[in-house]
Amino acid sequence: MENPLHHFELHPIVPIHLGGLDLSLNKGILVMWAALAAAYFLFMMVVKSKPGLIPGKLQSILELYLGMIKDIADDNIGEEGDKYVPFIASLFLFIFFCNLAGLVPGSYTITSQLVVTGTFAVSIFVMTLIIGVMKHGGHFITILVPPGVPKVMVPFLIPIELLSQLSRPLTLALRLFGNMTAGHILLGVIFGMAMTAPMIVNVLPFGFTVLLYGMEVFVSAIQAYIFSLLTCVYIGDVIKLH
Amino acid sequence: MSKDDDFKGGIGIAFRMGTELVAAILLGSLIGFTLDHYLGTGPWFLIIGLICGVLAGFLNLYRVAQELSKTNDTDKE
Repeated sequence: MENPLHHFELHPIVPIHLGGLDLSLNKGILVMWAALAAAYFLFMMVVKSKPGLIPGKLQSILELYLGMIKDIADDNIGEEGDKYVPFIASLFLFIFFCNLAGLVPGSYTITSQLVVTGTFAVSIFVMTLIIGVMKHGGHFITILVPPGVPKVMVPFLIPIELLSQLSRPLTLALRLFGNMTAGHILLGVIFGMAMTAPMIVNVLPFGFTVLLYGMEVFVSAIQAYIFSLLTCVYIGDVIKLH
Repeated sequence: MSKDDDFKGGIGIAFRMGTELVAAILLGSLIGFTLDHYLGTGPWFLIIGLICGVLAGFLNLYRVAQELSKTNDTDKE
């Protein structure tokens, strides 16, 4: 039986080495580019087809999608939410397409690499810090002290609050990585069962693979949604500062 | 709040709960372990880090739960 972790391995397709840096192209990078291109052309298709007041099918879907993003941005960030809608919308669409691209047989789930999700999460965390410092200046440090805390408790609460803040990029990265990896391992294991089970009996795991595949499509969307929702929550936290 | 929003919010919170707790504990113990490793101070920083991590994890959980009760309140209105 094939190793269910086998399809997570990456091998360079076009080896590129620049001054000690390994910039080789591999399947993951190509899939990521494909997902990026798909997201870009989806929107360009609507823009090129001259969007009208009465929207077509694709335009309605994209307008609904942007409306949803605007809602979560407004709910969690507040008045300044509109400023972040383009960023959140691109983030959602990119992660969603990366997740979906991984479900195409023979391709690669780039979001199952902790490096990728970690890069997303850490850059979002650094971005929230920069937004906070730009908005509140030195006053931003009070994010480490919850409101209404007695002065005696402050030295004890600061390390806890610091950890709580620092764990945010970790949860963001781990959740996406974990859910995508687990889903694909599960698909691999159950499909392996379907391949090795004797005739007639193998209908059962095979049918389950189909169901699980549908579930994975749903998880792709939900994970992209949570990632962008939490990005909004974190941006909102540094803007409102309690 | 529509039923659809409620569903999305519920799923979002459900997926958040687990990782919020785990990540804070992981991070706390990792920081403690690294400090111990470089300072050679036995298990002490690991223990402090672990305790802080657990507390921070529960703080995170508490905040997520607060959001849950907030959405429920707006639902009733």
